[in-house]
Amino acid sequence: MTECRPRDDLNSSMELEHIHKIALIGFFGATVFGAIASRTQFCTMGAISDWINMGSLTRFRVWFLAMGLAMIVTQILYLTGSIDLGESIYHTTSFTWLGYIAGGLLFGIGMTIGSGCGQRTVVRLGGGNLKSLIVLLVMGLTAYMTLRGILSIVRLNINEPTTWQLSDAGLASQGLHDIMSRLTGLPASTGAIVLTVLIGGGAIAFALMDRQVWSRFDNLLAGIGIGVLIAGAWYTTGVIGYDDFDPVQLEGVSFISPAGNTISYLMTFTGATINFGIAIVLGTLFGSFVYSLATGSFRVESFSDTSDLLNHVAGAMLMGFGGVLALGCTIGQGITGMSTLALSSILALGSIIIGCVFTLKVQYNLLDDTGIWKAVKATAWEMLGRKSSEE
Amino acid sequence: MTDTTQLLDARKLNCPLPILKAKKTISGMKSGETLKILATDPGSVRDFEAFANQTGHKLLQSTESNNEFHFILEKS
Repeated sequence: MTECRPRDDLNSSMELEHIHKIALIGFFGATVFGAIASRTQFCTMGAISDWINMGSLTRFRVWFLAMGLAMIVTQILYLTGSIDLGESIYHTTSFTWLGYIAGGLLFGIGMTIGSGCGQRTVVRLGGGNLKSLIVLLVMGLTAYMTLRGILSIVRLNINEPTTWQLSDAGLASQGLHDIMSRLTGLPASTGAIVLTVLIGGGAIAFALMDRQVWSRFDNLLAGIGIGVLIAGAWYTTGVIGYDDFDPVQLEGVSFISPAGNTISYLMTFTGATINFGIAIVLGTLFGSFVYSLATGSFRVESFSDTSDLLNHVAGAMLMGFGGVLALGCTIGQGITGMSTLALSSILALGSIIIGCVFTLKVQYNLLDDTGIWKAVKATAWEMLGRKSSEE
Repeated sequence: MTDTTQLLDARKLNCPLPILKAKKTISGMKSGETLKILATDPGSVRDFEAFANQTGHKLLQSTESNNEFHFILEKS
């Protein structure tokens, strides 16, 4: 065995160089991402709020432009054999449906009372918002506890009894193209092309139907820039990161688990190795910080009162737990996961939107000083299309 | 310009609360009345522009001073 040692040492040395190279590319890409998100106020919760509170779909359409573009570029990478999406977490055949739905709902509630999702929290922190510092820390710690700590018991108790093993049904993955292939007998690649045209092309068409989207530079910058950067993450880890002897985990852009990993990495720095997700969080923070300094928009903000603090802490905990349970956030499942055509992404994203809409309506009804339970009840009736008996 | 009839202090509140509170307040006002809003969230500039465009209320003023944003909306 001794003759193997020099080779192991060599491999170990190469491993560090390779992962650092991937992390560096991720960091620079995320720096651009952070600057774009900061300039254009790219925000999923804000997009839903515009829709519910103002009836404006423009920001939602910009979000769809990013998602559709990310899907098309990612599927081109997949169909040309550049990346194997089967290696990503989104294509697992263990389908934890209850986790996707419950986690998505909790995440949607959390991001609304926490003033934005994981991505928005990182971008806001870069601009000087100290509320976001607390949200990021609590969200990251809760995510880590859900991944590896005490809350993982809760996660496993939700997921284990409700997991569907899709491989038992002859499915190669939970990708919609594989499901379509199983149902119709068409090749999976044909299914991927058809679905990408329908969903990705449909999302872009929906976005460009609004003149406000294609006539304003910031809207195009957000939709195109963020869509391409998110697809670029697949290229970075799947193509540049590909190495027979030293492979990098195929992953895209996400913020919840990486927030927890970033905290762990910074606390155990001398004995830890950076990964792509950590580089994304740090790069996004850096990009937003530099942008806000360069434009003079950096400003320190803090909590208005104790209830403001409590709301943000609760929102952060819900995002940390819900985001891990749902296997991603508005970016992780909403754009990165959707770009892989994963069935879980549709469930998680739909649940996030429902959770967010519900909470926005509760917040509005709460302004009537009726108390939380009456506001929740009135909102539930409203969303079910019925009139509350107390009206 | 009509005199400002109501004041909404949304300082230190982040999206979506300034818009939610403005929407609730303005729903109880009469046409032509104005609402002055104080905010500190930088996103509120874009939010109140979009709110005015979408709802038909007039955004009579949108200014910034000492890290605060001041808006005056006239109900349509």
